[in-house]
Amino acid sequence: MKVLIIEDEKALSESISTYLKAQDYICETAFDFNTAIEKTELYEYDCILLDITLPGGSGLAILKALRENNKTDGVLIISAKNSIDDKVEGLVSGADDYLSKPFHLSELSARIAAIIRRKNFGGNSIIQFNNITIDTQARTAAVNKTTLDLTKKEFELLLYFISNKRRVISKTAIAEHLWGDEMEGNLDFIYTHIKNLRKKLQEAGSADYLRSVYGMGYKFTDT
Amino acid sequence: MKLLSKYNRVNIAATILVLLVGGLSYYYILRVVLIHQLDKDLKVEEQEVKDHVKQNNNLPKAASYRDQKVVFEPTELPVIKRKVSSINIYDTAEDEDRQGRQLVFSIESAGKNYKVTITKSQQETEDLIQLIVMLTLGIVVLLLVTLFIINRFVLNKLWLPFNNTLQQLKQFNLSNTTAIQLKNSNINEFKELNAAVTAMSNSVLKDYGALKSFTENASHEIQTPLAVINSKLELLMQSENFSEQQMQYIQNIQEEISRLSKLNQSLLLLTKIDNQQFKDTEKVDVAAVINKHLDNYEELITAKEIALTKNISSESIVVMNKTMAEILVSNLITNAIKHNIEKGTIEIIADREQLTVKNTGPALSADPNELFERFKKDKVNSESLGLGLSIVKKICEQYNFKVDYNYANGLHTISVNF
Repeated sequence: MKVLIIEDEKALSESISTYLKAQDYICETAFDFNTAIEKTELYEYDCILLDITLPGGSGLAILKALRENNKTDGVLIISAKNSIDDKVEGLVSGADDYLSKPFHLSELSARIAAIIRRKNFGGNSIIQFNNITIDTQARTAAVNKTTLDLTKKEFELLLYFISNKRRVISKTAIAEHLWGDEMEGNLDFIYTHIKNLRKKLQEAGSADYLRSVYGMGYKFTDT
Repeated sequence: MKLLSKYNRVNIAATILVLLVGGLSYYYILRVVLIHQLDKDLKVEEQEVKDHVKQNNNLPKAASYRDQKVVFEPTELPVIKRKVSSINIYDTAEDEDRQGRQLVFSIESAGKNYKVTITKSQQETEDLIQLIVMLTLGIVVLLLVTLFIINRFVLNKLWLPFNNTLQQLKQFNLSNTTAIQLKNSNINEFKELNAAVTAMSNSVLKDYGALKSFTENASHEIQTPLAVINSKLELLMQSENFSEQQMQYIQNIQEEISRLSKLNQSLLLLTKIDNQQFKDTEKVDVAAVINKHLDNYEELITAKEIALTKNISSESIVVMNKTMAEILVSNLITNAIKHNIEKGTIEIIADREQLTVKNTGPALSADPNELFERFKKDKVNSESLGLGLSIVKKICEQYNFKVDYNYANGLHTISVNF
C-alpha cells in the first residue's frame, strides 16, 4: 500500500511515516505545494494525507487538481484548521475523510485503512488477522467461522486494534476513537470494554492477543 | 422620554409662564394708560364748568348721562380740596355696581360755594381693555398651537437622519462583515454623527477581522506543535524497553496534551459562537439528537450503573444550528454522566418548550450562580475542563434560550427553555 504524506511540518511528517512504515505501508513525503503536485501527477497512491496549509499553495487546490484529472487516490485531509467550512469544502471537493490536528497516529492509521478498504471495495471488505475474520461491510467478526456477538463499540474496538496491530494504543486514543472528542476525565471504564472483548474472543476459541501495556494502554499482538 | 416631548414640555411651560406674566402686565399697563386718559377727560370737563361759570356767572346745567354725571352741591366750606378718585357707581340699568372715576372740586358762582362732582363710568374703558386682551390672547394661543404642530412635524422630519442612523446601528452585525451604509444629511450635526459612526463601524470590522484571524492563527499554531509532540510520544510508546515508571510518565504527558488540545478547541469553539459563525439554522429534531448521543454514551452510563429514564416527545423540534444542537445536547449528557455517582440516576425530559436533564450527584461546593462561567468547576483538581457549561450557556444566549440550574434532594437539574 502506497501512501503520500503531504505535510510541511517535517517532524510530524516523519512521525507519520515512521508509524505507517511499521504498519507495512510504503510512504513518500512532500513538504511543499509544488512537490506535492508533481508527485500526485506522476504516481498513483492508495491514500494521500493532505495538509491544507502548505508553503506555495492550498491543499484544497491539490485535491481539486486530482479530481479534475479523474484520479481516484484516496484523500485524507489532516488540518489544524478545525473549522467546519474547511471540513465541508474539503469533503465537497472530493476528500474521503477529514482529521483535525492534533490526532493520534493510531486514529490516522485506522482512517487510512478504512479509506483504502472503501477504495478497493468489491474485492476486499474482509480483514484477516490470524484466525480472526472481520467483514467491514456487514460489520461482523468471526473466529474460525464462529461469529462473535459483539456490540457496536466492541466491533469498532476490535477493528481499531487490528488496524493498529502490534502497536501500543493509548487509552486516550481509544476513548476518542469510540466516543469522540467530548470525552474527558477518568478513562478507567475502557478497561471493562477491553475485558469484554477479550472474553468474547477467547470464548470463540481465539488466542489472547490483547496485551495491557502498563500505564500506557493496550496492544493487539500475536508476537 | 422622547427628546421631542421633553422639548415640548419645557417649551409649553415657558410659553404659559411668559403668557401669564406678559398678559397680566399688559392688562395693567393698558389699564393705567386708559385711566390716565379718563382723568384727562375729567379735567377737560372741569375746565368747561369753570369756563361756563366765568362767562355766565352761573352754574351750568347739571347733566347726567349714562357714562358721565355732573353734580353741583352748595357747600359751606369755601375751598374743597381738588381730588380725583376711583368709585363704584350704581348702574340702575344693569342693577350692579360699576367702576368709575370721580373728580371733586369747588367753585364759586354768584357768591355761593359749590362742590362739583364729575363722575365718569369706566365701563367703556374696561370693555376696550377686555377686547384688546382677548384679541391678543387669541393670537398668542393660535401662535402656540401653530408652533406645537410645526415642532411635531418639522422636528420629526429633522430627526429623520438620526433615526436612520440609529436603525442602521441596531441592525449592525459583526458576523455579516458589511460596513454601515448611511444616507447623507445636509445638517452638520448629523453629518458629523454619520462620519463618526461610519469610521467606528469600519474600525470595529477591521479589528474584528484581525481578532478572528488571530484566534484562527493562534489555534492553528498551537495545534501543529501539539500534533508533533503527540505523534512523537506515540512513536516513543512503541519502544519496548521502558520501566513501569517511565511508561506512567509517558501516559501522563499524553493525557495532558490531549487535555491541552481539547482546551484549545473548546476556547476556539466559544470564540466561534461569540463571533456568530454558526449562522445557518434548520429545524432540528432534538429527540433524535438526544437519542443519538445517549446511544453513543451507553457504555459510559452502564459502566457507572446509572439508571436512565427518558421522557422525550417526538414533537421536540427547535429551529437552530445543527452543530450547536449537537454540542448542546452532548455537553448536557456528558455533564450528567461525569458528575454522577455510582448507581445514580439520569432523567431526560424533552418537549417542544424545554429540555431538562436531571442527575444525581454530590452537592456543589462552589456558588451555583458561577456554574456557567468559564473555568468554574466544583473541585479544583477535577479532571474536567470547566468549559462544558459555559459552552451550553453561550449557545443558549445565541438563541435566547433560558437556561436554569437548581439542586434539590441530591438532584442536579439543568433545564433549557427554547
